[in-house]
Amino acid sequence: MTTARHHYLEIIRDNLRIDLAEEKEVISELETHIEDRFQELKQSGLSEEEAENTCLGLLGSARVIARQIYEAHSQGSWCQALLAAMPHLLFATLFALNWWYHVGWLFVLLVMVIGTSIYGWWHGKPTWVFPWLGYSLVPVAAFGLMLPHLPREWSLLTIPFYFLLALWWLFCIVVQTTRRDWLLSSLMLLPMPIIIGWFLTLVPGAKITSETLGRINYFAPWIALSFLILALTIAAFIRLRQRWLRVALLSISGLLTLTLVVYYAGGRLSIQTFAGLTLIMWGLFLIPPLMEQCLRKTRRILQRYALFTPPHR
Amino acid sequence: MVQSRELTKGNSDSLLLCLLAQQPMYGYQIIKELENRSQGYFKFKEGTLYPALHRLEKAGLLLGKWQILPNGRPRRYYHITARGHTKLSAERVQWQDFINAVNLILQPAED
Repeated sequence: MTTARHHYLEIIRDNLRIDLAEEKEVISELETHIEDRFQELKQSGLSEEEAENTCLGLLGSARVIARQIYEAHSQGSWCQALLAAMPHLLFATLFALNWWYHVGWLFVLLVMVIGTSIYGWWHGKPTWVFPWLGYSLVPVAAFGLMLPHLPREWSLLTIPFYFLLALWWLFCIVVQTTRRDWLLSSLMLLPMPIIIGWFLTLVPGAKITSETLGRINYFAPWIALSFLILALTIAAFIRLRQRWLRVALLSISGLLTLTLVVYYAGGRLSIQTFAGLTLIMWGLFLIPPLMEQCLRKTRRILQRYALFTPPHR
Repeated sequence: MVQSRELTKGNSDSLLLCLLAQQPMYGYQIIKELENRSQGYFKFKEGTLYPALHRLEKAGLLLGKWQILPNGRPRRYYHITARGHTKLSAERVQWQDFINAVNLILQPAED
């Protein structure tokens, strides 16, 4: 494959951001189209370079093709929208009906989150799995909260290991997700600032006491409302085709929900905390695209290296 | 030329369904066939064809299948589905009504 053709297909691949199996098919399809046109133009008397340039010119902008194919593939069905919104709906129900203190319901929810995440991850990572995947990080965070309650010697030993492992786990999931599309990483991590906001409101000193339960009881309807807003956001996200609309939806809804948390927290969260949470929220929209750029650069370097490595004899 | 391009753009889905109802084809073949059959009137912008085909496939009106040509090259053939046939029938009726109405306007009025 010539450099111009390779570069053209590389731009399409970078901007497609669809399921990997589908991406492969799209690239192969376009490759065969270019080859057909190229051969025809060459037979008509054009040089290889002229034929290549004419052929790519006839196809048009690689970015526009990639965007249009993304829009053809991006919209999920209503069923997928419901499935994607389900974890947020379940958490909203848990607080709306005050079931959060029943260990049985929490266990069922945990099994559902982990089971659905694993199922989706091994079945082609469809878009609906990413909100579930975000919640699979909640047990890791909950386990971390229990660590300070261990005997002092145990805490000192386990906390550093825990943080390293938890960060490694988070990093691996975010990298894998960003490889597909950075926007899905933002979608997956969207509840994080909201959950942190509620956590800081309910457990101010990071110590769970009997007062904490009373506070959860008091704030339960508002917690449910914030999860309900997240559920509606995710459902709308799945139904939207245009990428810019999806980015706008996530950022506006995330910020609105965060403001709602701070408003209903009624002075329990300071302006500095709100600013910190807003920063985390914006980090969700800035770090994944930067990570995507780094991953692409690494992929290109590896590809170049593979191209210049002599084949094994 | 601009008018024909606008017409192609506005009716690309119907044109594709109509063509593929006659026989399954792959992308490049579709472009050539449309151009030949319309004697050069319908010129599909090549880059817009694949998003249109994928959109129709996602809507369940077409089905893409990889097939190997006798020369060994793989091609993705698009087949029209039952849902695609239903949609095409409805669009044919609409088109026929539109053509009849336009003809009535174009004909000189009878005294």
